[in-house]
Amino acid sequence: MSSIKEIEDIFSSYIIGKDTVKPNRPRFHIDVSNLKEAITLLKQRFGEEALYISNIIGVDKITEGIIEVNYFIHIIPLANTIVIKVVVPRDKPQVPSLIDMIPGAYSGECETYDLLGVDFVGNKYLKRSFFVPTDVVSRDIFPLRKDAKV
Amino acid sequence: MSKLIKYSPWLVHFNTGACNGCDIEVLAAITPLYDPERYGVKLSPSIRHGDILIVTGAVTKKAGERLKRLYEQMPGIKYVVAVGACAYDGGVFKGSYSSISGGANKVIPVNAYVPGCPPRPEEILRALLLLLDREKVKGDEQH
Repeated sequence: MSSIKEIEDIFSSYIIGKDTVKPNRPRFHIDVSNLKEAITLLKQRFGEEALYISNIIGVDKITEGIIEVNYFIHIIPLANTIVIKVVVPRDKPQVPSLIDMIPGAYSGECETYDLLGVDFVGNKYLKRSFFVPTDVVSRDIFPLRKDAKV
Repeated sequence: MSKLIKYSPWLVHFNTGACNGCDIEVLAAITPLYDPERYGVKLSPSIRHGDILIVTGAVTKKAGERLKRLYEQMPGIKYVVAVGACAYDGGVFKGSYSSISGGANKVIPVNAYVPGCPPRPEEILRALLLLLDREKVKGDEQH
């Protein structure tokens, strides 16, 4: 568990909240404006090729009016996965793109944009119909939103 | 059944959106344990050499276009075997916004279905043999 403490110390000033998804997988809640700085610190500490974004999961919480974006980041030297959570308002979901720092974020960002409508600012490859069939796209529906009628 | 492929059907395996359950069984069916080469059954390196197309999984709208294109690229005498409940009528994914309502036969003509979720490798091989007229159906059995 010392490795998790180590990660926490790296960007401790940005952490708003912390919970645990499951044993040995902590989730750090970070303000959306600090996301890039936090990833930069992780990269500085562990090196250019140590971070691997395995998943970008969006969750639509319609009663609270927010969309959660969870970054599952595998840190290869520590052989451990951490989750970084940012929260954006549902009516204007904008998150800074990580594609310039971690190119592997491409597919995750495109998927989350296509299914939930989260706009990753700075990712010029975002397009509809990445996964969603064209007839659903033509009705301008994001199928994973809770109010979508598909 | 054409004699041209009766004793050497080459397979092409295409996953149109399956959960991988049927794919594992199809791959198990072509292992030496079940030894399909005694029937001349081999996996084809390319769709343009294929005789039988094995379709697994619910056909999503995106994969449906590709499935049609693959079928059109197959040469001359060609057959399609739909493996699993999803390829038959959509299975548990029936009615989803991203899948074609109905199974693989809405996109391409299907010659044989293998029911099951997933079917056993023996059943997949038996369906191929029934399709090739190399296995008799028992009197009280329907297919």
